[in-house]
Amino acid sequence: MTAWEGLLHGFSVALQPTVMLYCVIGVVLGTFIGVLPGIGAMAAISLLLPITYYITPESALIMLAGVYYGSQYGGAVASILLRLPGTPQSAVTTLDGYPMARQGRAGVALFASMMSSFVGSILAIVVLVVLAGWLSRAATQFGAADYAAMMVLGLVAASTVGSDAPAKGFAMVTLGLILGTVGTDVNSGTQRFTFGVTEMMDGVNLVALAMGLFGVAEVIGNIRSAERQGTPERVTLRQLMPTRNDLSRMTWPTLRGTALGSFFGALPGTGSTISSFLSYAMERRVARQPERFGNGAIEGVAGPEAANNAAAITAFVPTLTLGIPGDPIMALMLGALVIHGIQPGPMMLEARPDMFWGLVVSFGIGNLLLLILNLPLIGIWVSMLRIPFRWLYPAIIVFMCMGAWSVRGSGFDILAVAAIGLGGYLLSLARFSPALLLLGFVLGPLIETNLRRAMLISRGDPMIFLERPIAAGFVLVTVVLIALSLWNTWRRKLDRTEHSGHM
Amino acid sequence: MTLPTRRTILTAALTIGLSPLAAWAQEATWPTGPVHVYVGFPAGSSPDTLARLITEPLAQRLGQPVVVENKAGAGGVIGVQQMLAAKRDNHSFGVTINGPLTTSARLTPDLGYDVAQDIAPVALLATSPLVLAMATEAKPTDIASFIEAARAEPEAISYGSVGQGSGAHLTAELFADAAGVEMLHIPFASYAEVTTSILGGEIDAGFMAPSAALPHVEAGTMKILGVTSAEPFPQVPDAPVIAGQAGLPADFNAELWNAVIAPAGTDPAVIQRLNTEINAILADAEVQRKLLDMGWQAQGGAPEDLGARIEVDTALWGAVIDRIGAAD
Repeated sequence: MTAWEGLLHGFSVALQPTVMLYCVIGVVLGTFIGVLPGIGAMAAISLLLPITYYITPESALIMLAGVYYGSQYGGAVASILLRLPGTPQSAVTTLDGYPMARQGRAGVALFASMMSSFVGSILAIVVLVVLAGWLSRAATQFGAADYAAMMVLGLVAASTVGSDAPAKGFAMVTLGLILGTVGTDVNSGTQRFTFGVTEMMDGVNLVALAMGLFGVAEVIGNIRSAERQGTPERVTLRQLMPTRNDLSRMTWPTLRGTALGSFFGALPGTGSTISSFLSYAMERRVARQPERFGNGAIEGVAGPEAANNAAAITAFVPTLTLGIPGDPIMALMLGALVIHGIQPGPMMLEARPDMFWGLVVSFGIGNLLLLILNLPLIGIWVSMLRIPFRWLYPAIIVFMCMGAWSVRGSGFDILAVAAIGLGGYLLSLARFSPALLLLGFVLGPLIETNLRRAMLISRGDPMIFLERPIAAGFVLVTVVLIALSLWNTWRRKLDRTEHSGHM
Repeated sequence: MTLPTRRTILTAALTIGLSPLAAWAQEATWPTGPVHVYVGFPAGSSPDTLARLITEPLAQRLGQPVVVENKAGAGGVIGVQQMLAAKRDNHSFGVTINGPLTTSARLTPDLGYDVAQDIAPVALLATSPLVLAMATEAKPTDIASFIEAARAEPEAISYGSVGQGSGAHLTAELFADAAGVEMLHIPFASYAEVTTSILGGEIDAGFMAPSAALPHVEAGTMKILGVTSAEPFPQVPDAPVIAGQAGLPADFNAELWNAVIAPAGTDPAVIQRLNTEINAILADAEVQRKLLDMGWQAQGGAPEDLGARIEVDTALWGAVIDRIGAAD
């Protein structure tokens, strides 16, 4: 079946009224799940799973997928308005989205995030249709050494994110890396920093960390200034509209973010959190005035949001073409198919083309629905800022606790949110960037696992990082990047001494 | 009209429950309230799907809701811990994989329970062997040529598992010891990762869940050299049994399993009733078919059979853990 026939076939599946209905339910639910801090697609999908027993597998998959990519839209809302990331993927959106909201440009920031999410998703669907075969082959070509080298590049490239003081940034990345080592050592089974607590054997809960660092810390911080809070003035329609300047600033970041997200999404196990961080780092690097970042640069919203939405779409490539789920949420969706007696695997595309193409078409429909749903909602979201803090913040704390609990039904994780939140507040007092801590935490375990796995596979020979072409490429780019920034620092110093010499 | 009636029944039920006279009645009317089943893995995971396949008909048979409590973490250990902590007399049970009952006592520090003392076996639900899988283009074609390739030099063959101390790891080491070879262990987090690595040519082999390997066998990218159970497995009927091949012991048998357990101290009559219901559910052809689709073969049997199985496997895997511990 050619892609064209497949698409036509997909329309005949996805345009059935009942299937459309499940698509609508999925994306609407996804949006709201995404907006609520802490409660992510994972919790929503596992709650919906029992319902899928009673509907067709196509409807089930389309609905669950809708929740998944819909939550990526909603995630940005609380990040921008309240500096509380709705999902870990949108944590990076707080860096510039929140300053924009503080400057009275909340509407524009939300518009930028919705638009770039939409464009990123639609382009990623095109990538999915055209390059699915190539991407799935690429996914199997990536070995442990390649992943390790790629993640190191990511860490180096992103380590300038959201920090004016390099030493502070370095400290936060390192702290994140250290937190990432908590739990069972994959190679030896040894317990690291678990202090005999069974709940810590699987490491620190990512949702608890993100909610504590950003959410609780922000709430505590605001309690101190709550009295001084002036009610934000009414937002007029004009303020929602981006200027022509905004639009042109958004264009390239959106496209670059889409490209990054499409690629990283398709690799099993890397995912959308990393692509949004990398997109931010990239925009900051290529920007003519990098100092605008962190102070409300619209590029810092558009790029990462395009990236995480594109990644949410291409994440289906290994899942559907190889039957290899890239993350736990994808594994859940495949679980929904298994319940219906469909064995996901490389043959699924041939055996059940209706499933694959129906889903692809539903992505298009779902994203269009999300845009139509979300643009009018912007005004409502912004007016949320006028809810008095004494109502808003307790509600947020409740949602965050629910979110942390929902990951595995553990009361321990709620206590973890509180403890991390306190730590996060102290860090924010000292102006440390929680985003960099989160980055270190996400990348650290991936680097460690893949580095050690690569060394095991090579029987202890580090040359594996230079012998494999993909890994060698990443190592080379990393070295160039470090050399460049050293050269820049040195030249600036030289300039300064010459300058003072003339005086 | 209906409201007072319901209230009357409720009051009556409460009175019976509280009355000291009702000791005999309680046994006869068990369960007196919702039954809670603790699962040590998240909703939607394979152990969870399997548990729900049983709990749904169980609720109908018991006439009370059966609530699945997902308490995930530490390879299923947290589910068992939470079941024991619940202290809900005769109404807390657990569905667990073999690990927390057999190997965790050796592998998990601060386990918090003693299987022999704290756990009452109820019924074995289902078993699954692992299959030895390789990429199609790999040279070995059967167990004999695989062992030959592995003998060429120590660690000539690398294999992936789903983690240190996992069933996949221990089974591979049991095999290696029986065959007298040394293989290189590469731990991964999931069969999805093991599959990618085998297909990408990074590692050579893996002892995998049949349903993880099967789709790739059908696509022609993977092949199965053998199955670790004593009998052929219906999901992969063509795969030869490893036992007895190429000089391996004829009783070579390694299986993963799922079972229903209760806290020690649960009323024996309650355990017997639950065991009867579970055996009836497992006898249903439709349930058997659904289990097999997921890669599990329905088993059943008496609580004592499960108890014996726990003892045998604890000794079997304990010996493997001793050996690889000594090798490190």
